[in-house]
Amino acid sequence: MRALIVDDSRAMRKIVGRILVDAGYEVLEAGDGQEALDVLNSLDGDLPDLACVDWNMPVMDGLTFITEVRKQTEWRAITLMMVTTESEQDRIVRALAAGAHEYLIKPFTGDALVEKLDLLGLTATTVGDLA
Amino acid sequence: MTINSGPDHALVHAAIEQVWGSMLFEAAEPWPADVPADFETGLQAHIEIRGGWNGRLVLTCDSVVATQIAAALLGMGPDEQVDELDVHDAVGEVLNVVGGSVKGAIGGAMTLGLPGIRASASPPTSEESLVVSWRGAPVHVQIVPDAAKAS
Repeated sequence: MRALIVDDSRAMRKIVGRILVDAGYEVLEAGDGQEALDVLNSLDGDLPDLACVDWNMPVMDGLTFITEVRKQTEWRAITLMMVTTESEQDRIVRALAAGAHEYLIKPFTGDALVEKLDLLGLTATTVGDLA
Repeated sequence: MTINSGPDHALVHAAIEQVWGSMLFEAAEPWPADVPADFETGLQAHIEIRGGWNGRLVLTCDSVVATQIAAALLGMGPDEQVDELDVHDAVGEVLNVVGGSVKGAIGGAMTLGLPGIRASASPPTSEESLVVSWRGAPVHVQIVPDAAKAS
């Protein structure tokens, strides 16, 4: 399985990437929403199964990215998970309304991310304790 | 609506404890009041909060502490080198998550900015900052309302 991590923090991309690689994913990275759209456009149909998307990023934020992805019918199969510090209920509602399938609030543990993958039916391999 | 009180030290300390515990796997004990919280060359991260309360959080620590925080966040071993970009990014991300927790606790329509990083020649005074202990070294966190100015 394949995942795209969209976060302006290199550290957070590494952390999420390590958890997903341990879970059996091949990982792609982008530093903001526009860069992530460019990555998707460059893949020539070989799309990721999952995108983990931060909310607050320069250039294009995560909410705009999700909205743009949902406009493209050929990208409908991508599962979108917001991974963000934005914890308020209205933010969660906005993200889900824009097309996010799941919402994970920072700080989180590796187990919490894997649990979200399980909920989404996106567990690539049996994983052990990632904490 | 304006929240006059804004975040206090207890709220920020609770956020730091949550973030350090879950992301860095370290406790955030209060710094002893009778021990000087000094260092020579440091790093300062800041992040703005806008809405019912306007201001910023400023985290200042020694550069060695910053490197240790980055290594802990990235799950790196003691013999692994952390490059400067990763140190700046990691310290900014830690403050970003602390800021998100503080913003969520304040409630209301608030927005969080993007973290910024700069070198800091000296720590703020302990009187104006919350000081927590990282492996026996001080980490200063200031709550700076817009009318005030961080040192």
